[in-house]
Amino acid sequence: MLTEEENERLCRVGPDTPMGRVLRRYWTPAFQLGDLREPDCAPIQVTLLGENFVAFRDTSGRLGFLDELCMHRGASLVLGRVEDCGIRCLYHGWKYAVDGTILETPNFPGSTFKDRVKQGSYPVRESGGLAWVYLGPPGTEPPFPHFRWAAAPPDEIAVSEMILDCNWMQVQEGSIDSSHVGILHLDTLAVTDAGPRTVGSFEFAGQPWDTGISAPPRRLGLGWPSQDNGPKIEVEHTPFGFHYAALRDATEPGKQYVRITAFVMPYTAFIAGTTGSVIVVPRDDTSCSLYLAANVPSGANGRAAGGGMNRGIDPSVWGPERGNRRLRLPAQDREAMATGRSFAGFRGGNRIQDAAVQMSEGIIYDRRKEHLVPADLAIIRMRRLLTDSIKLVEEGKKPLGLGEGYDFSNVSGAAAVMDVGARWQDLVPGNLGEPARATLVDEVT
Amino acid sequence: MNEPDASSLRLAIVVDEACTRIFDAWEERARVTALRVNPAVYEAVAAARPGEVRRGYPLMLLGMELVPDEGVDTYQPTVVASREAKEGAC
Repeated sequence: MLTEEENERLCRVGPDTPMGRVLRRYWTPAFQLGDLREPDCAPIQVTLLGENFVAFRDTSGRLGFLDELCMHRGASLVLGRVEDCGIRCLYHGWKYAVDGTILETPNFPGSTFKDRVKQGSYPVRESGGLAWVYLGPPGTEPPFPHFRWAAAPPDEIAVSEMILDCNWMQVQEGSIDSSHVGILHLDTLAVTDAGPRTVGSFEFAGQPWDTGISAPPRRLGLGWPSQDNGPKIEVEHTPFGFHYAALRDATEPGKQYVRITAFVMPYTAFIAGTTGSVIVVPRDDTSCSLYLAANVPSGANGRAAGGGMNRGIDPSVWGPERGNRRLRLPAQDREAMATGRSFAGFRGGNRIQDAAVQMSEGIIYDRRKEHLVPADLAIIRMRRLLTDSIKLVEEGKKPLGLGEGYDFSNVSGAAAVMDVGARWQDLVPGNLGEPARATLVDEVT
Repeated sequence: MNEPDASSLRLAIVVDEACTRIFDAWEERARVTALRVNPAVYEAVAAARPGEVRRGYPLMLLGMELVPDEGVDTYQPTVVASREAKEGAC
């Protein structure tokens, strides 16, 4: 639990808030590159950390990320024309380059004004199908996080964005919350692998129900070899934040089922047994973007734009295409729940199940009222790192987890069955800055 | 460590430290029955949960009953544990 003051400091993300100042010290995913495919294509509006921006790709293919409203009279540049190496405001024709330089002021010809000031602009990097921006003070950019999945060719990276109408912390906490996986996602486990079939006194009756969802590649027969829903959590700090292991009694006597998740401050989680990341970015205090990024087989045509990541999700609920990314929760199938065909009653897989419970907490959850348990340790530690970072930034220092000198391509999660007491850290040596043993990690993910 | 006022108390630290101590105790095969916390922490939890106080429920943190103890540092809660083997240990 948190005090009211702590909860406010954790959740509010605007430019004049404690957390807003912390988040602006990291590279922040802003939008999918697929939304600005061609030079001089239509610009897009981006809402990020409580502010509005315009993003565009100029004639030479460079990305620009500017304050949305024209500095002249405040018309939206999202309405503007992208042409001849800049974006032009429709209202009076002021034109800006990708770095905010004023190129033309047609209603104020011959002025030196344009040589003295600029439209607000921010550094942009392209990586892993996403545009990443830096909204912090100029000159304070940390090292860019080059993740392993982002190094693949563009057609081998699948990215999608789901917009959720709740505060980002509710979603971020879900991404590092291992103990809900064998419970909330029982329907998914039943469909995709040899997972558990019970939660307490609940047992499935009949065949798996949510059969339309995308089945992840089988994890070399690993499945979900445990019936233990009360994992022990072990957390260890890393250069990028922390990683933790959820340790469950395995089905096989004397063994434990280990799921390791790496949390890269402040947005990204590498989930056990997946090839990519879950990235949660606040749009504002009351909505956030949930990005899924993963490597896909070569030749998976169109998946880099998010196609294929919506299997099993009704298009009236959500879709990866622009204009359909804000989630509208489907109705819960109470009949399927009552008859034992479904545990959660939400079709569409993990993201829909997660979103349903996270949004049900309210727009901004009041953490004074919660009753945490030890299995929530990773969430507890994340809050501490974030609030410690607030304090550091307030003292004029750098926030935690910037990873200076660390090679982010070494970050990974993992899942494995190990002997009880075995060192789980050996599965993810790169997380601690040691040379990665990629082969070992690949074998167990 | 100086005692913080209610508005600057960081429960995020208290909870993190308490959770770590519970896992440490479990590692030692001990049964944790309660948490001793500084009275400032106890009051902060009570203030956050007026409904539970009104109903006469015990104040709980991480599933353990809270015991106020002036001898406990604000950010160093301690576990009350017995040496029995913990049931259902992971």
